[in-house]
Amino acid sequence: MTQPTAGNKGLSILAGAQSGVSEEDARILRGLRAGIEDAYEELIERYEQSVYGIVYRLLGNQSDACDVAQEVFLKVFRGVSAFREQSSLRTWIYRIAVNEAHNHRRWFARHCRREVSLEDDRPEHPNSLEFAQDPGRSPFEQVLNSENRTLIERALTRINPVFSTAVVLRDIQNLSYEEIAEILQVSLGTVKSRILRGREALRRELTQRPDQGFAEALA
Amino acid sequence: MQRRSMDYVDGRLRKSEHSRIEAHLAECQDCSRRVHEIHDVRATLHGLRPVKAPAELRLRLQISASRERKALIETNGSRFLRIWNYWAFRLDELMRPITIPATGGLFSSIVLFGALAFTIGTTTRGVTYEVPVMYAERGDANLVPVELRSSVVLTLSVDSNGRIIDYAVRDKAGSFSGDATRLQYNNISVPEIPNALRLAMPTSSDIRISFTPIIFRP
Repeated sequence: MTQPTAGNKGLSILAGAQSGVSEEDARILRGLRAGIEDAYEELIERYEQSVYGIVYRLLGNQSDACDVAQEVFLKVFRGVSAFREQSSLRTWIYRIAVNEAHNHRRWFARHCRREVSLEDDRPEHPNSLEFAQDPGRSPFEQVLNSENRTLIERALTRINPVFSTAVVLRDIQNLSYEEIAEILQVSLGTVKSRILRGREALRRELTQRPDQGFAEALA
Repeated sequence: MQRRSMDYVDGRLRKSEHSRIEAHLAECQDCSRRVHEIHDVRATLHGLRPVKAPAELRLRLQISASRERKALIETNGSRFLRIWNYWAFRLDELMRPITIPATGGLFSSIVLFGALAFTIGTTTRGVTYEVPVMYAERGDANLVPVELRSSVVLTLSVDSNGRIIDYAVRDKAGSFSGDATRLQYNNISVPEIPNALRLAMPTSSDIRISFTPIIFRP
């Protein structure tokens, strides 16, 4: 893959990324615009988990993630007639999800800074289930991995959201650089820079907390 | 080097580049440690369990979808109609809590006004019952000591200069002769006509007063 230069930066945004909608996306869009019930069901079926996953990783809170995910779909339903199909349906939906998560985070920081939830909204971590699912590792390694996962989930909500977004889309959602560039509407170079800085920030966040044990695991 | 290390971790380097980076990492402990840590962070991120959306989210999304679909069908995709319906709904919701008290207030006003309307008319009609009648102030005139309840005949005697020299009054009850020397002024005044309501019995809507002329005989 070519590295972006000053000359072809604009092209690199689209290189490899899916431009326009696929046949399947077009069918769903037609159904949504015509008010066909099955189209709505299919859209929810296809994107519910991924949208929720992105939003949850960015906000770190289950109830907030549900609210924001619902907002995302509401915007998709209402904006479908204005969608110009210059990007894929998935890219468009993910872009809305990222923006809504950021807006919610900003609103929450402004209005609810001092409030502390009494509930633990994070999904449960069934260590016993992970234990059973990973027989190739020693018990110590499985517990350590489980702890690391908890630590990294918390660290994701602590670092700069601009960087954490890029890291979530790349390392958790496994999207390509090009697709991430399209979602965030930035250049390929900016995407790489944000991912790099996001990973660095996570590494610093985790290694500078010696009591948490991650530093020991990395050593 | 950092960008390269990122591509190295992601496995996006060409073979020659990859080899060059590996050679550097073998010599530089700092870079090697850093890359190793980044690699672990990335691996941990990859290993994060996919979060499962709660069941209630599906229900909420289906309800939203149903609502939006209904709005789309009703407005036929018209943005203007949609905005109109949205604000009409909001206004309806805003007015709903005050509809009952407002209606109750309006009804009460109608009942109260209807009840008071009769009293307003009665008070006005009561004012017209008084009959405007002139009377003489007691201090200014000579009054004959009779009340105008029936026919009164006043007889005056005047001289050539028009001065009253003698007078007598007669009504049904009796008569009396006056003392002309005691007259302060050269006139005889009839006492005040009592209140018209004392003279007549008001009927349902009219008051009838009878007057009998006082005859002066020269």
